[in-house]
Amino acid sequence: MSSDQLTGASLSQGATIGARLRMLGRLHKIEAKRGIRDIFSNPISNLMTVLVIAIALALPAGLQILLDNGKSLSQSWDGASRISLYLKTDLEQSQLEQIANQVRTQDGVTKVDIINQQQALDDFKQSSGFADAIAQLDSNPLPPVLVVQPASTHNSPEASETMLVEFQTIPEVELAKLDLDWVRKLYAMLQLAEKAASALGLALALAVLLIVGNTIRLSVQNRREEIEVVKLVGATDAFIRRPFLYTGFWYGLLSGVTCWLILTFSLAWLKDPVANLAGLYQSQFQLSGLSLLQSLQLLLVSCGLGLLGSWLSVGRHIRQIEPR
Amino acid sequence: MIEFAEVSKRYPNGQEALKKVNFILGDGEMAFLTGHSGAGKSTLLKLICLMERATSGQVIVNGKNLNKTSRRKIPQVRRDIGMIFQDHRLLFDRSVFDNVALPLMIAGYPHREIGRRVRAALDKVGLLSKEKHSPIMLSGGEQQRVGIARAVVNKPPLLLADEPTGNLDPELSSEIMHLFEQFNQVGVSLLIASHDLSLIAQMHYRTLVMKEGRLVQDQIDEEQVEEVEYE
Repeated sequence: MSSDQLTGASLSQGATIGARLRMLGRLHKIEAKRGIRDIFSNPISNLMTVLVIAIALALPAGLQILLDNGKSLSQSWDGASRISLYLKTDLEQSQLEQIANQVRTQDGVTKVDIINQQQALDDFKQSSGFADAIAQLDSNPLPPVLVVQPASTHNSPEASETMLVEFQTIPEVELAKLDLDWVRKLYAMLQLAEKAASALGLALALAVLLIVGNTIRLSVQNRREEIEVVKLVGATDAFIRRPFLYTGFWYGLLSGVTCWLILTFSLAWLKDPVANLAGLYQSQFQLSGLSLLQSLQLLLVSCGLGLLGSWLSVGRHIRQIEPR
Repeated sequence: MIEFAEVSKRYPNGQEALKKVNFILGDGEMAFLTGHSGAGKSTLLKLICLMERATSGQVIVNGKNLNKTSRRKIPQVRRDIGMIFQDHRLLFDRSVFDNVALPLMIAGYPHREIGRRVRAALDKVGLLSKEKHSPIMLSGGEQQRVGIARAVVNKPPLLLADEPTGNLDPELSSEIMHLFEQFNQVGVSLLIASHDLSLIAQMHYRTLVMKEGRLVQDQIDEEQVEEVEYE
């Protein structure tokens, strides 16, 4: 034992700031490792916790993705609310052309597509799966259709409505139908669903905080003895808190990654049916998954929730543990 | 180093553990604290390391008035005190080296210095060859020596020991006491609570005798100590 015994504890002499920072980095590494070891020391119950958090995150995130998709879908149709004119069934092709030209000259019409009876039947055969049954029919029951694309100046609901009334006066038109109606309804529903998703997201974020907080509380209690000892040898609350914060962070990260996997697999699973459905509507719509930015956001939120949950919990609980 | 002035401690359950205790332990002084169990030895030690706070009176340790020490400042006070416990209080999920390194890691010492100081402390207690062992693999005496290495590794000016030889046979006990003497020789103040009177008698150090919360004797004459104890 040397005579610098008396120099006391508080500071070690000759240690540069750099050396101290390196030590701090090393400590963080040790504690980060300890945090993750903590989770894998009891893999089944802890990974179940991860899964619960992941599902709690996946619900609002998944809903948000579906809403985003729904919005992009409704927007692409909103800008081009189409009017379908169902014509009488006994018209020749030349008559169809004539009516189409007549409609084309109308104010505010950019484009008119003709779907004659045969095309309508072919489309229907292809998409309905009733090809055999349809082949049995003597006559084609489907009417020819003119699909009218209003100009962008005329696609407000009111303007479309006026055009609709005008088209209705053409004698060959059996039925004029504005597709905007259901687009508008869809849009209103999406808005409602978005509010609901936000509320659900908030509630589930709170649930995640509680789950992480409770898990950390148990972990603090399990390490009660260790906490008492490190407090006795002069550990600050911050020092004691750190490994638990890392554990919370790891819970967040693992849950975020698991949630991402759940969403990605679910979307991949939905992709074909959605593409099929879109095909039925002659749409090129494809279900878009998580973008890189959204994935990062998801991980950021999950890590943040893990960290916050453990921070809220650990501060309270390590205060209650005092050495005896 | 330690100054108690009219210190009383009453626990919430009404038990009066200390009654107007006065004493001063000088810098570099070594003293024993003895008395029957329940006489207040542990409470006195707990007041010094702020595990408990005095109900009245003043406790001054290392120049710091503990009455005025906020909860946030407690770690700073404890870093200047090496504590040794009867039950060692080692962490069994890590190696001997890591146990001893704990106070240094907490205080943020650089890595290289931690290695140097831990090995010096382990060498001092004769356990350098077992730094990689788990404390579980060590005998009771060895565990106690690990506890001592942990207490002295950051060179605190004051060591407190609560029944450090309580579970050890006489030979190991005197070995440990010899270690304490060596620390004292380089200037460390020590306060050792023990009811091992025969051991204390061999040592010829100042002895504080407690009885029912009071300090009833404070002297170096070991025979008088025994008188009080066995009256």
